[in-house]
Amino acid sequence: MNKLPITIDVEIPNDSDKIYDYTKHILDIIMEHLHLDLSYQRRIKLIIVELITNSIKHSNGLPTQIQLIIDHPQLSILKLEKGLQIEFSSPQQIPFENIEQKLHVSFSESNNHEIQPLDRYKFRFLNPIRKDELSLDRLPEHFGFYIITLASDSFIYQYDPEMKENRYIVNIKI
Amino acid sequence: MDVEKENFSDVMVLTLVAKDANLSRSDIFKEYVFEEIESGESNIVISFENVEYLDSSFLGALVAILKKLTPIGGKLVLVELNNDIQNLFELTRLDKIFIIRNSVDSAYIEFKK
Repeated sequence: MNKLPITIDVEIPNDSDKIYDYTKHILDIIMEHLHLDLSYQRRIKLIIVELITNSIKHSNGLPTQIQLIIDHPQLSILKLEKGLQIEFSSPQQIPFENIEQKLHVSFSESNNHEIQPLDRYKFRFLNPIRKDELSLDRLPEHFGFYIITLASDSFIYQYDPEMKENRYIVNIKI
Repeated sequence: MDVEKENFSDVMVLTLVAKDANLSRSDIFKEYVFEEIESGESNIVISFENVEYLDSSFLGALVAILKKLTPIGGKLVLVELNNDIQNLFELTRLDKIFIIRNSVDSAYIEFKK
């Protein structure tokens, strides 16, 4: 194994039909430095696919970059995206006024995320699905952030108002 | 639409042709299936035989199709998912909501119940 940590910057595609090939390419880069079993490989692929899909949907062509930080005991996948901060369709917005309490926020009519504010511009997605909540009527039709949250060990969003940069920080214990 | 359609008795089998079940196809596919439902189809099999990966957008489209079918007494069966796609359904626990079978033949059994 090479000396850690290793930081690798990669540009992301803007063509949705290139996402999967690109995802496999990123996984190959990671695998040059880490031995990961199939379960980890699947989790990483899901995370990268969803980070890029989210960008293609919402970045409006603004610069976006993926940064990999390979370290021990953690792999971090960062997506850095210029532009306005994330907006919720629920009343709470960033900057948060109260960072002590967990919040329920939505990004559309049909989803509901529980988050833990970490500071006024930063929050962590909490595990979204509980056993007693799985019914078709209440299922969302937007799963991107759900998938990233479930496939990772922590999924954090941060906005830098000075740099006008969105940071999606995904950590996987390895 | 990159989909092959076959009808066997009262069951419609849709086979996705593209290897990417993603953002670029999810809305078109959903609308296509909605039109089929509105024209009377209610027993639907979707085959992922050719599909390499499925993203959240397509997953959302499948949920929307299931939500449209269920109130009219219809049934949706998903077949021939590769291990990565099966893993996605298990991760999101949507394997508890969807009927997932190995093959089109085993899907037919679901419509005889």
